[in-house]
Amino acid sequence: MTAITPELVRPLPVLARNPFGPLATLVRRRLQLSARTPRELVVPLLTPILFALIIAPALKEALHTSTAYEAFVATGTIGLLIPLNTMFAGIGVLVDRESGARRELLAAPIPRSMLVFANLVVAFAITALQIGVLIGVARARGIHFDTTVWRIDWFLAAASLFTIGMYGAAETLAARVPRTEEYIGRVPAIAIVPWFLAGSLFPITALPSFLTWFARILPLTHALALTRYGLLDDSSGLRDIWRMHDTTAMASLSLLVVLVFAAALTAVAIRIFGRTAVQ
Amino acid sequence: MENAIEVTELVKTYPGDIQAVRGISFAVEPGEVFGLLGPNGAGKSTTVGMLTTTIVPSSGHARLAGYDIAAEPLAARSVSSVVFQEAVVDRSLTGRRHLELHARLWGVEGNEAATRGAELAASLGITELLDRPLETYSGGERRRLEIARALVSHPRVLFLDEPTVGLDPRIRAELLDVIAGLRDRTATTILLTTHYLDEAERLCDRLAIIHEGRIVALDTPRALRKDLGERLLELRVRDDASVALAVLRNNGLAGADAFTVGATVTVPLHDRATSDAVGEVERAGVRTASITTREPTLDDVYLQLTGGQLRAAA
Repeated sequence: MTAITPELVRPLPVLARNPFGPLATLVRRRLQLSARTPRELVVPLLTPILFALIIAPALKEALHTSTAYEAFVATGTIGLLIPLNTMFAGIGVLVDRESGARRELLAAPIPRSMLVFANLVVAFAITALQIGVLIGVARARGIHFDTTVWRIDWFLAAASLFTIGMYGAAETLAARVPRTEEYIGRVPAIAIVPWFLAGSLFPITALPSFLTWFARILPLTHALALTRYGLLDDSSGLRDIWRMHDTTAMASLSLLVVLVFAAALTAVAIRIFGRTAVQ
Repeated sequence: MENAIEVTELVKTYPGDIQAVRGISFAVEPGEVFGLLGPNGAGKSTTVGMLTTTIVPSSGHARLAGYDIAAEPLAARSVSSVVFQEAVVDRSLTGRRHLELHARLWGVEGNEAATRGAELAASLGITELLDRPLETYSGGERRRLEIARALVSHPRVLFLDEPTVGLDPRIRAELLDVIAGLRDRTATTILLTTHYLDEAERLCDRLAIIHEGRIVALDTPRALRKDLGERLLELRVRDDASVALAVLRNNGLAGADAFTVGATVTVPLHDRATSDAVGEVERAGVRTASITTREPTLDDVYLQLTGGQLRAAA
């Protein structure tokens, strides 16, 4: 039998040697768990693809709208895909807590915020992949995107920040609710209801005026307006929000809103995770 | 020599004023196997949770290998590992992946981690299981994997929180052999919680008996038993056991260390001869169904200290 001997010298905390190694390890673990859970990859895609490929063309046919409406809805479905995917990713946090290895990770010599960041990295990567699939499918269906290298940056920044913010919401909710059933019950209110109010299927000015005002404060409205500006060269969403003429200024202001949303919810998620995980 | 574990007046009060741990203190020397013995709800797992920094203490201090768990939590965690009471695994990942994950998070280099993992898997008899997902492991196999995982990082302090709870007797016996082997072959300090007395007696150098969040006795198993003398008189009484005990005390047959559990009165004999004691019981008018004598066990120590809750919990 092999003899086992302990370290005789006091080891340095692992972070002092390599701060990124543990993060990469946690990211790899989450990716492996996600890869073994196909629902995390496939389910969030179903509804947006259904909208982009079937419902939008059907609406165009039935209501005699233009091909621009298909593009309008296709980009609008990105605003459904991101919340759905990030909220589904939050289920992984609950599984970790209820039947996974979370306590082992909490006992590891790493800052606990790293667990949140690792989950965020994976949720972000999967969301990016799904958005790519959605845009690819939409293009294959004949939907035309009109973008430039400069303008697409607005879309990329908005989608990235909105994904980060929504993941923060998912992580926060997962930390606050005691059971998976309760979490799932709250997903529609967080991921789907705002989508109907944020200018995804129609301009927010088509809403009753009090709802238009409400829509203007939704981060999703700003993210969608930036998405359409970036992918379709359509700044009408930004004008509906800000009522200004300078498109760059409006885009900058909307990006600031999404940035604040992302930063605030990430900070809240880390704080609440740190507090609830060790009680 | 610096203590491997030092606990000073550690307190944990949960919301609702539930006092799980009420000011416990103890120290464990390097290489020692220290047991926290007590029934469910005594505060054992909460104590382990605080020492592994997964539960925040309400007050008090603790150090692992000299690192303060509150001021230097990363350093304290880097020198310790834990095997939790319940399964704490990713069921869809393989055993090998669990070993790698722990090694990387605890900063063990790749080659060393692989070598160490292979050694431990061989020692614990799980080499053939390593490439299977954890969901295919039996309870005992999973426990051995969790122990191997905890040892990959060469911990100075290993926490084993009720490692055999819920296992069938055969697997439990195998796992006790494994833990006894660790004790013999490593200099790692082990803090073991259990409510199985045989387990504590077999594995631990010293024991703290914890009851309702307080340590009520702390010594070697032998010394704890010694307090009850060489022989015990055990009476199964036909009347109320507490009344019988009072009669025995009034007649000077039982001291403060005698105790009752159900219809049984247990009286440490100390220097009294067994035959004399039996005669005196009969003369005192206590109606008995049976009278036996035997050597004290840790069961008796615990029951005497805590009023019989351990037997009910186990």
